[in-house]
Amino acid sequence: MGTNEEPRIGVYVCHCGFNISATVDVEAVRDIAATRPNVVAARDYQFMCSNAGQDLIKKDIEENGVNRVVVAACSPLMHEPTFRTAAEEADLNPYLVQIANIREQCAWVHSDRAAATTKAASLVNGAVSRVALHEPLDPTHADMNPATLVVGAGIAGIQAALTISEAGNDVYLVERKSTIGGMMAKFDKTFPTLDCAACILTPKMVSADRRENLHLMTMAEVESVEGFVGNFKVKVRNKARFVTDACTSCGECLNVCPVNVPDPFNEYVSTRHAIHKAFPQAIPSTFVIEKQGSPPCMEACPIHQNAAGYVALIADGRFAEAAKLIRRRNPLPFVCGRVCYHPCESACSRGKVDDPVAIRGLKRLAMDWEREHEPDPQPDPPEHDHAEKVAVIGSGPAGLTCAFDLAQEGYKVTVFEKHDKLGGMLAVGLPDYRCPPEIVERDLDYIRKTGVEMKTGVELGVDFRLADLLGDKPGFGFSAVFMGLGAHRGLQLRVPGEDAEGVVLGIDYLREINLGRAQPTGKRVAVIGGGNTALDVARTARRQGAEVAILYRRTADEMPADIEEVEGAIAEGVMFDYLVSPLEVVVADGEVTGLRCVDNELGKPDESGRARPVAIEGSEHVRQFDMIIPSVSQRPFRTWYKSSVPEKGEIGFTKWDTLVVEPESLQTGVPGIFGGGDVVLGPASIVEAMGQGRRAAEAIDKYLQGQPLENFTTHVAPPDPVRGFVKRPYEHGPTYDQIEKMPRARLEARDPAARLADYDTVDIGLTEEQGIREASRCLHCGVCVECESCQNVCPPDAVRLDMKDEIVELEVGQILVSTGFKSFDPTRMTPYGYGRYDNVVTSVEFERMMNSTGPTGGQILCKNGKPPRSVAIVHCVGSRDENYNRYCSRVCCMAALKFAHLVKDRTDAELYEFYIDMRAFGKGYEEFYLRVLDEGANVIRGKVVEVQPARGHNGDGHLVVRAEDTLIGRYREIPVDMVVLMGAIEPQPDAAQVGRTFSLSRSPDGFFLERHPKLDPVGTTTDGVYLAGCSQGPKDIPDTVAQAQAAAANILAMISKGEVIIEPVRATVQEHLCGGCKTCLNLCPYTAISFDEKGNHAVINQALCKGCGTCVAACPAAAITGAGFTDDQILAELDGILAPIGGRAI
Amino acid sequence: MDKRYTYYPGCSLHATGIAYDKSMRAIFTKLGSELVELDDWNCCGATAYMSVQKTVAFAVTARNLALAEKTGDDVVAPCSACYYALKHTSEGLADNPELRSQVDSALAAGGLKTQLTVAVRHPLEVLLTDIGIDRLVAAQTHSLAEFRPACYYGCQIVRPFGAVDEDPELPMSMERLFSALGARPIDYPPKVRCCGGMLVATFPEVADELGKDLVDWAIDGEANCIVTVCPLCQSNLDLMNVNESSNGRSHRIPVLYFTQLIGLAIGCTPDEVGMQHGLVPMSANAPPLPNNEAPLTITGARES
Amino acid sequence: MTTLANPMAGPTAPGVLPKSERDLRAAFLKEIERIPGGGRLNQCIQCGTCTASCPVSYAMDITPRQVIAMFRAGAIEELLRSRTIWICASCYHCTLRCPAQIQITDLIYALKRIAIEEGIFPKKFPVHVMSETFTNNVKRYGRNYEVGLLLRYFLRTHPTKLFAYRKVGLALWRHGRIRIRPSKIDNLEQLRKIIAKAETFDLPQETVPKAKVTAAVGYESIGR
Repeated sequence: MGTNEEPRIGVYVCHCGFNISATVDVEAVRDIAATRPNVVAARDYQFMCSNAGQDLIKKDIEENGVNRVVVAACSPLMHEPTFRTAAEEADLNPYLVQIANIREQCAWVHSDRAAATTKAASLVNGAVSRVALHEPLDPTHADMNPATLVVGAGIAGIQAALTISEAGNDVYLVERKSTIGGMMAKFDKTFPTLDCAACILTPKMVSADRRENLHLMTMAEVESVEGFVGNFKVKVRNKARFVTDACTSCGECLNVCPVNVPDPFNEYVSTRHAIHKAFPQAIPSTFVIEKQGSPPCMEACPIHQNAAGYVALIADGRFAEAAKLIRRRNPLPFVCGRVCYHPCESACSRGKVDDPVAIRGLKRLAMDWEREHEPDPQPDPPEHDHAEKVAVIGSGPAGLTCAFDLAQEGYKVTVFEKHDKLGGMLAVGLPDYRCPPEIVERDLDYIRKTGVEMKTGVELGVDFRLADLLGDKPGFGFSAVFMGLGAHRGLQLRVPGEDAEGVVLGIDYLREINLGRAQPTGKRVAVIGGGNTALDVARTARRQGAEVAILYRRTADEMPADIEEVEGAIAEGVMFDYLVSPLEVVVADGEVTGLRCVDNELGKPDESGRARPVAIEGSEHVRQFDMIIPSVSQRPFRTWYKSSVPEKGEIGFTKWDTLVVEPESLQTGVPGIFGGGDVVLGPASIVEAMGQGRRAAEAIDKYLQGQPLENFTTHVAPPDPVRGFVKRPYEHGPTYDQIEKMPRARLEARDPAARLADYDTVDIGLTEEQGIREASRCLHCGVCVECESCQNVCPPDAVRLDMKDEIVELEVGQILVSTGFKSFDPTRMTPYGYGRYDNVVTSVEFERMMNSTGPTGGQILCKNGKPPRSVAIVHCVGSRDENYNRYCSRVCCMAALKFAHLVKDRTDAELYEFYIDMRAFGKGYEEFYLRVLDEGANVIRGKVVEVQPARGHNGDGHLVVRAEDTLIGRYREIPVDMVVLMGAIEPQPDAAQVGRTFSLSRSPDGFFLERHPKLDPVGTTTDGVYLAGCSQGPKDIPDTVAQAQAAAANILAMISKGEVIIEPVRATVQEHLCGGCKTCLNLCPYTAISFDEKGNHAVINQALCKGCGTCVAACPAAAITGAGFTDDQILAELDGILAPIGGRAI
Repeated sequence: MDKRYTYYPGCSLHATGIAYDKSMRAIFTKLGSELVELDDWNCCGATAYMSVQKTVAFAVTARNLALAEKTGDDVVAPCSACYYALKHTSEGLADNPELRSQVDSALAAGGLKTQLTVAVRHPLEVLLTDIGIDRLVAAQTHSLAEFRPACYYGCQIVRPFGAVDEDPELPMSMERLFSALGARPIDYPPKVRCCGGMLVATFPEVADELGKDLVDWAIDGEANCIVTVCPLCQSNLDLMNVNESSNGRSHRIPVLYFTQLIGLAIGCTPDEVGMQHGLVPMSANAPPLPNNEAPLTITGARES
Repeated sequence: MTTLANPMAGPTAPGVLPKSERDLRAAFLKEIERIPGGGRLNQCIQCGTCTASCPVSYAMDITPRQVIAMFRAGAIEELLRSRTIWICASCYHCTLRCPAQIQITDLIYALKRIAIEEGIFPKKFPVHVMSETFTNNVKRYGRNYEVGLLLRYFLRTHPTKLFAYRKVGLALWRHGRIRIRPSKIDNLEQLRKIIAKAETFDLPQETVPKAKVTAAVGYESIGR
């Protein structure tokens, strides 16, 4: 049948019983329709959808040559398919049928009969004018991918997955948690049959695990969904579990994990370790490590030292392990334990409660413990063995770290030190009382054990040149060089008289003293500067018997020196004078006699962000000193440079004499030559220098292995560490203000007088007891503290602390969303006192309490360990309440009765059920209600409004619930020991976002919306996406399973059908109109549009086009139209609707 | 001089609530805020009026609002009943046009009109937001360490409109305030339960029952005083100290206004805050805070 | 008038209430219309939150919940004769907690006003006298005058009780908390004019309550 023939339209108006005819004068509509052009038949009928009704249409098509059909009836959602099929059976193209919806959009929403009738007539007119222009269309077909995605592995998801896979189709069961089983896995018994939840659930979980074609994906979340029914493309994020499936769940790790956190599976009532299994029968049985980001202390550390790890071990009294862990990442643990400026402590979350954990002191304790108990610790032998030799110039923190890492990696490393003493600044810059030589020696000793060779008294530029290192002279022939030269050149004040006798640069002064050379010290010494060097100088000079004043141009607040140093200096009688700058060294016959100074005030901040000191007019004055030690800053020496220009490439310097290096790889202008530490950073801290040494080592390894110098994995700490996590150390953990304060351990210092007499260390370390107590202040930020002990003990070596999330792409035909619910949070209803009073518990907490694997091993106990003398169960907490949720949560009444039974069964307690209306609607429910009544539960019709502790000392801590006993109309106060709150069933907190991902609509209460409340309770408005369980609305287990089965049946039906029909609504280009602007080309989501250069117009591939209409809307020339929705058809429909009816237009 | 407020004492503060009046004026002066008593204010109508004639109740109260608009300053009403009546009127008129027009014509008869422009506020909220706990702590001169108050909020500053922005079932602002000032407030579950003050005359036995319960809670919680925000509550609870209780237990416990306690903390004398008007003498004292030593400073020897 | 406390109070013929009930219901619905959200009382699920939150419900003869039930049953007169509406201390706890967000306190105010308008009170139960004395006080002085209030109230109700209050009076007197003379406001004239005008609006008026409320509470016949 073509379209050239004259349209002969049949109009059929349905009464739909009274549904339409009650408000619409059906006959009138029919008669009006009869008068429209091309209408050859107009009829009305009681039920057009009935066979008799359909036969009317067929008859007209076959006998009266009707070739266009308009049915005025209910929504096309209901019966469009019916009438299209009817037309098809009469051999008329189904797309020549048009539905006018005069029920939902007319009869049902109007009361004025006349107006409704007019409207109905107009709608019919619209359809008539439109259908006249309809073209016969043929639907296309796409294959149905038999694989199915099930999202959420509660009982609904598991049941559906089993059914679908049973039929031999692949199912991907995606679950966010570490185990499948959902809420039901937490329950003890189930109503009304009282069979044990685990007993009926775990068999299903096990077979889900066993089944070949059922692919479990736990700890996984769907990120995105593309495509359409039959052909969805889904991106799933597999979150890192940190344990591989090699895990035999032997539980060894549980004995060593030092971290305990509240257990989500037990509603945070009990605790569990960072490495754990949700519950004994969890599926999969693989353990999992909870990590919520890396601990702040660790992030703040330039060498990524896992501080939280060894702190946790110390808290456990496991000092040996702590020391071992420290050494894993730190080649200078003894040094760092004493003089590190500890950015970790600045980042420590504990600082938000009271004071940071004394991490440095704890590190020192662990190492001192090792020194006592393990005289000769051995590094692990390197895994690889490389032939290449690497030269490290300078034995400071940077050089030593670089050397250590490379040696551990298996390279032959030689360190060249110009002084006779190894350690760089550690040896010549830091006074012995801060960094005792034997301590440095112990670290050096360990590094030597890794095979590093150390040469002293050999100076770059004097004894050898850079070129020599890379050349093949005997003793040289290195393949790479690391330059850790440090910054040993002190800066002058640039004031007159500075060259006089008695003016010595701080860094030189310290070096001479440290190397035990003759270095005179004056009687009254002025130290200029406010950094750690200035403090070291001052305290050293005090030990040399001088009277010392530190002159600093800003105030104490701006001083860069560590606070411990300042306090130490004050105790040792160093005088501080703030806001003064030197102007001139006063010299009388070649000798320093004093310093002319000027007072400052603080002005606007300078580029360093610190307030700029401004000299005060006329405040100049002279102070008497016989020695001046400027200690303002240092720079690297460049003297070696001129004498050792390498052959190729260039070594660059900044205007501060520091090396120019490539920031990522720290490589200088010369390939194979790297630099780090003070020589690059300028005067910086020990651990920062070590960080650079570590990065350089990684770079050198890449360089020697011929890899590109990119994708570095060594840690780079933020410039200034952020203080801890925001509100609490980990999800559901206590907030900082809830944590009990506990003073930070104070490191005892020796008596100042005694200190001045020698160069021994100033503070005395912590005792083991102090250390354990101090370590116990750690809050375990991010749960897992990366102490690696589980890794060390795991028999099958299944732990992978460096595991990463990964994205998996799935192709599926259909999707079932069964993401479950969230239980109402009763803290929102203050009067119930949940969270304030012990023994006010939620229904889920109560379920756990009664479960044999729960916190009390199945006993019903008050917090004080005693069984309750009476229990109140409160219905409708957050349900049937305009202030929270209007709806009834359906399951609470029965669950509450179940509780009543179990309480009666397991205790001698009196039991009170406070209900508003007892809803026992299911099979066997009413009988269960009666049974519980028989068991002696007291049911009181009335809502509990508040729970309060009993007043007075004789109240023995019991509670009082207040309610009206509405059946006797009396106010009652009932004393109880325990209150169970039956919280509402609420949508998951992220339901909105999940809804967007799967393009689901939600009802006002926030639950996902089914396609039709009665006729399609499992489908959704998105073809191929289905719902089951509480994500669609509150329901109990039987209903949930039934809905899951129903969804499975729908899904299987589609699969066995094997293909999906795609509406023939597709876009076509009217070539003569196309301007060739190509706008549409990249808009098409299905890449169905190409461009014909010759004809200069767009071409749409009908096979690929899905009729989404994007291009139709986008085409500036209106050259693209969608079949079935052409502009003409739509305009015609409008004309029809607007045409006057019975003399009055609408 | 800080912000200025229109002060609406209400009838009680001129009689049984005299101590509230004194302490209000004392602390606002000390804190540098000015209280200007509303000129020729009339009875707020209180809630009793509502049960007789609705429009009259609104009109009577509206007169005060109209008078207050002359300066436009916020109206501070210490009595919870007044606070409620004034607030209820200005909000009630705002969202009920019919009532509004009736009241307007009534006011017109007295040659007045109101735009409902002035804000009605309770001193507790003023002290917490305009002045703030920090400034109160800064202004503290005397220690409240000996005070263990049971902080009682009663009804109308938390219901139906919360005067202080917090959970109407569990307000904590006074606890926060007084802990900050060094007192040790007790846990006081009935803090928002009605004291029955409205029923003293009409249902004395009921009022007595409610009052007794509140006092018992305080005594059992080992409070050494009850702190109130309303003259009706204060009188009702204070009178518990007179009526011998049926169960033989004596209910003697001082009942203060929160303003009195603040006054003592910031250095007002007991007389200035009207402690002498309480039926039971307050056992605890507010001794002056010890002066903290000047911070240690070190500087080099200097000769010029 | 139907006999008070008649258990059979309510419809007398299908859908028809006794005349007196119809009038009371009309008056009540009129009041409800003036209360924001007053119509919500149709939403009551009889959970008893109001009663249980009420500090004085234990002393009531009809609980707050039953107030709504009896209104629905068409027994308003019985309500007006109850102690309940007069015991209410208007602490608003019921209103705050009502899961149906019903303005119970305001509904009870409405009932008090109707009781006074219709002159229907509990037997030997002159509580309303308090309110009236109070308002007269205000008319006379512009301010409330506690002593006068109490004196007048007890003289008009049960003079004997005054004796019981002597102790209280004495205690307050000793602590300087009693004024013997009332304080007047200056512009009493103005206030009286305002009151006089306002009173004209509170006189009982015949009105046809809106359908939406009546429909939901049944008895379409009202107002016919």
